[in-house]
Amino acid sequence: MQAWLTRRGQGFAQWMNGWARVFSFAGVAVVGALSPSTYNKATRLVVQKQIYFTAWQILPGFALFSALFSVLIIEIVGRNASAYGLYAYALELIVRVLVLEMLPLMTALFIALRTGAAINTEVALMQIQNELGALERIGIDPFRLELLPRVVGGTISVLALTAVNTVVALLLARIMIIDLNPWSLPPGEFARVIGKVLDMPSIGVLWIKTIAFGLAVTVIPISEGLNTPKKLFHAPIAVLRGMVRLFFALMVIELAALTALYV
Amino acid sequence: MTDAAGKISSTKRVLMLAGNAERLALIEQHPSAAMVSHDLPLRANLSVMENITVVLQFRTNSYIGEANDRAWELLQLVGGTDCAERRDPELSTEERFIAKLLRAVVLTPPIILIDRPAQLLPDTNYPFFLNRTLLALAGRFEQCLILDYAWNAPLYNSRT
Repeated sequence: MQAWLTRRGQGFAQWMNGWARVFSFAGVAVVGALSPSTYNKATRLVVQKQIYFTAWQILPGFALFSALFSVLIIEIVGRNASAYGLYAYALELIVRVLVLEMLPLMTALFIALRTGAAINTEVALMQIQNELGALERIGIDPFRLELLPRVVGGTISVLALTAVNTVVALLLARIMIIDLNPWSLPPGEFARVIGKVLDMPSIGVLWIKTIAFGLAVTVIPISEGLNTPKKLFHAPIAVLRGMVRLFFALMVIELAALTALYV
Repeated sequence: MTDAAGKISSTKRVLMLAGNAERLALIEQHPSAAMVSHDLPLRANLSVMENITVVLQFRTNSYIGEANDRAWELLQLVGGTDCAERRDPELSTEERFIAKLLRAVVLTPPIILIDRPAQLLPDTNYPFFLNRTLLALAGRFEQCLILDYAWNAPLYNSRT
């Protein structure tokens, strides 16, 4: 029993240490990202590449997927609201469910799976093969050149993709709920509902949540990658740990945002 | 700077080591030397060109075009332009050595330290290869220190 408790305790302590490292790196990354001296031509190029690979490269496909997803949700909500005689509330429900909750979370999960996993693997391999040490030896700060640009580029990408998906979803909601059923809602209802749902507190929470998602999908994989022991067989373990921790963090951020808005 | 046999004399010194402790001590004595070592790999997901230009861009904040020109010029000097766009796993040991050497040389450092060339160039007559490559880069550094183990000393006396 004592041995079991000791093992559990050690595991919990390691888990908490991992979170301490994540928050410590996040703090340093935020300060670094806001400091103009961090940036030079080399770091800006890495930021551009990160945005290209994370957002620009997938933009058409992902925007199409989220448009189809939005159409499906809008149709389901519209039909059900109509069946219960609540069509007047369908638009508000759609904006709340899609724009404030589902699309930001879906974007963050997609970037986490695609870019977060890649960053975690890459940083773990850089750590294992001493590529970061080699950069340091030739006078290049790996934090400024390799790590921070990934945080900045990744966070900007999550914000940009969320914004694109949100605009697409709002346009589709307008077309499907109002333009295709012009008799169902009074004129000007669309703007009134959008203004009501997306008020300042909601927009504030949406911004904070999306920035937190963006930081999580880059900071957690980097932090786990940096903590990889210098043995090749530790690479998959580092990625596994990073992805589990990232999923947990995304869920906690989403729950915190829901609590802030609705509780 | 070179002797009659075409070997660099005053800029190149081969330091014969008795063991690893001596090697580590010598490396510690030259903290600012630009080092070429098996323990300092290239960035695996960057091409040879990018591995060289990133040093220039980061350290001197130069434009990518200028950095590319400089890297290309160095690659031409050592006949390494064929591998410019390839990444580390696609390189032969000689090409990898050249990439590491040019990454070290690109900022014209006073001292270059080549650590255990036998490990960097396992399938090559490396004293000859080093001579030829360093000769092509003469003037790009003040001194090159080669750290090699004493049991490899006879290799440096070979005329081939």
